Amino acid sequence: MRALDTAATGMAAMDLQVQVIAGNIANMSTTGFKSQRAEFQDLIYEHVQRIGAQASDQGNILPVGIDLGSGVKTVGTPRLMTQGSISQTGNTLDVAIQGDGWFKIQLPDGTFSYTRDGSFQQDAQGRIVTAEGNVVQPAITIPANSTGLTINNQGQVSVTLAGSTTSTILGQFTITRFANNAGLQANGDNLFTVTAASGTAQDTLAGTDGAGTLLQGSLEQSNVEAVTEISNLIAAQRAYEMNSKVITAADEMLQTTSQLMR
Amino acid sequence: MENALLIGLSRQMALGQELDIIANNVANIDTTGFKADNAQFGEYLMSHASDQTFNGPDRRVSFVQDRLSWTDLSPGAIQHTGNPLDVAIDGNAFLVVQTARGQRYTRNGALTINGSGQLVTGAGDQVVGDGGPITFQSTDHDVVISSNGIITVREGNSTVDASRGKLQLVSFDQPQLLQKDGGSTFAAPDGTNANPAGPNIRVVQGAIEKSNVNGVTEMARMIAITRSYTDIANILQQQSEQRRNALSQLSQTPTSS
Repeated sequence: MRALDTAATGMAAMDLQVQVIAGNIANMSTTGFKSQRAEFQDLIYEHVQRIGAQASDQGNILPVGIDLGSGVKTVGTPRLMTQGSISQTGNTLDVAIQGDGWFKIQLPDGTFSYTRDGSFQQDAQGRIVTAEGNVVQPAITIPANSTGLTINNQGQVSVTLAGSTTSTILGQFTITRFANNAGLQANGDNLFTVTAASGTAQDTLAGTDGAGTLLQGSLEQSNVEAVTEISNLIAAQRAYEMNSKVITAADEMLQTTSQLMR
Repeated sequence: MENALLIGLSRQMALGQELDIIANNVANIDTTGFKADNAQFGEYLMSHASDQTFNGPDRRVSFVQDRLSWTDLSPGAIQHTGNPLDVAIDGNAFLVVQTARGQRYTRNGALTINGSGQLVTGAGDQVVGDGGPITFQSTDHDVVISSNGIITVREGNSTVDASRGKLQLVSFDQPQLLQKDGGSTFAAPDGTNANPAGPNIRVVQGAIEKSNVNGVTEMARMIAITRSYTDIANILQQQSEQRRNALSQLSQTPTSS
């Protein structure tokens, strides 16, 4: 009975849907997190009786056919790349991107990753690093005894050096853009890497070429919306139940058949 | 005697197929742009070898035959997602996508951009615009899709809108002829013409069309199917019981006393 397999694909899809929702809810207060959504499509159809087939010797054709579907498949779990809300923290090294673009981060192995999480720190050498200690590109070193660290909306980092009354620009953050943000691969730790689907990384500066601007003393919150997630969770759970009921029905029918023979 | 068995069997096979269709509907209850299928059965009259010349003529025997499955093309609920590349179509029209198998039509407007900047579906098939594929530049941002499908963006630091094409929307005179082709797409068989969609078709940006499967209806249909399946099994059993009784009673030869 085909219904058993079809309903099983439905249960598997709903199981994945719940996993995606769980991931979103777990990251509701993760800085720079982008919510995911499971995207489904129907599986191939068996055309038991094809539309347009000849129905009689007189040349009549069938206006409708018999199509039997074989269930559902997951095509992807794209991320919703909308802006998360901005919350003020007052911390001088917290930076949020308003608009499109990513911070470029160098990992210890020399490769680059990208993040929207701008909760930066200073390491022992005075470099601006992420919470995991990875250097934000380009490497900007804050001299000791400097005061008045300012990051303007174009990403220029400036300080007032000891013994000076004017501020000195130390560097400017690289902001990277992609043709398809949703094609980036998430690697945990709020880091994303480039893939064939995202297009090549285009390094630019904040406020130019369509890149967003920066906001010091603020962080971008997760863009997960609790109401949407919970209503999706309810729908997924009910759909899972309904699929299991179909399996029960198919089972009952098979049982009836097997009881016929006594 | 055999007829009752065979008629019952024809009904059970049809019910089995109807359950397959319901299973597919329920499995796709959360599939964007999915349209529910329905089965319809017809009567098949067996007209051979009947004799009308006697007083009590032979009755014709009617079997159940699965005539067709038809797709319910009514619109599904529109869910707001906030994703600028999600579009829902308000009205009886389809998006055109270019697949490896040729042009296909879909109501699934969960679109995205691929690595070369082209507008594609979740499965990676190109969305066809009025002037071919719709391609974005790498500096494009703030995508706006108007209600008639025109896509405009802001390019780089420019303050004026730049057009990136128009979504091709088509409708069919006889949409019931469309054949499902998997991946939430429909294929148009030969002889069906895709016409440009009329002026009352509206594209809604930032929303997707949910599946139009109604869980309650499917569950109710499923219960009806399992019940009639059991009923027929009971009838078949009674028939076989009847036959067994007849055989055992008729075969009793009177014992000579």
